[in-house]
Amino acid sequence: MRQAGAYSSMLVGGVSGRTGPHSLPLARIKRIMKRSSEDVRMISAEAPVVFSKACELLIGVLVRRAWAAAFRRKRRTLHKEDVAAAVTNTDVFDFLAQVVLQQQPK
Amino acid sequence: MADAPASPGGGGCGHESGGDQSPRSSVREQDRFLPIANISRIMKKALPANAKIAKDAKETVQECVSEFISFITSEASDKCQREKRKTINGDDLLWAMATLGFEDYIEPLKLYLHKYRELEGDNKVSAKGGDSSVKQDTASSHGGTQPGPISQGMGHQGSFSQGMSYLQPQ
Repeated sequence: MRQAGAYSSMLVGGVSGRTGPHSLPLARIKRIMKRSSEDVRMISAEAPVVFSKACELLIGVLVRRAWAAAFRRKRRTLHKEDVAAAVTNTDVFDFLAQVVLQQQPK
Repeated sequence: MADAPASPGGGGCGHESGGDQSPRSSVREQDRFLPIANISRIMKKALPANAKIAKDAKETVQECVSEFISFITSEASDKCQREKRKTINGDDLLWAMATLGFEDYIEPLKLYLHKYRELEGDNKVSAKGGDSSVKQDTASSHGGTQPGPISQGMGHQGSFSQGMSYLQPQ
């Protein structure tokens, strides 16, 4: 009945030792968190877990919007300019403007 | 496994981390970004099967993800400072995301976190037994103490279905 067995085997054995059941490596996430501000001292074990999923969600939205941009340009290959278009067309992605602009030396 | 054995007893996601390693002077790529293979895999999942992804697009998304983590973490960290707490926890991140316009993520994240806690619980019981203290302060997150307008509003975000997929392993 309960699926706990399946889940815990995911967690223990796992897809890979580095990410466990998560799609992104938690240790790496933690390192990036620590780099983001000097004030960041301690990070709870759950925080990188939250980010592993949140980043997945972010990538999903970003990529789907970028894909729409590529589609408008009649392409089947996603390029950085499509990602840039997705960022500039989406309010909540304003904080990424620098990232995509500095990458686009036009 | 390819990640060199960094610290003794570095078994996975660890618990409290004081300052396990100070940042090296030279900034290595693996300190700044998540692995491009993982990023690429997640990108592919969001696209139709016939889609291709150029390398520059992957790298851009990789940078965006790091920027996102920093952006949210900084906001959460400010909150912790205001409240004179030292540890950034999952709820602080959820709060920061809601504040910064990512309220659509909250519900899927709560689900994910809930699942994770269940797993951790199961694991702890079967493996060690005990040591569940970390969970206490965040245990209230799915009780509905969220600030701001995090109500429904996530109807047709495609991302929401991804949130659910964690609950339905094949």
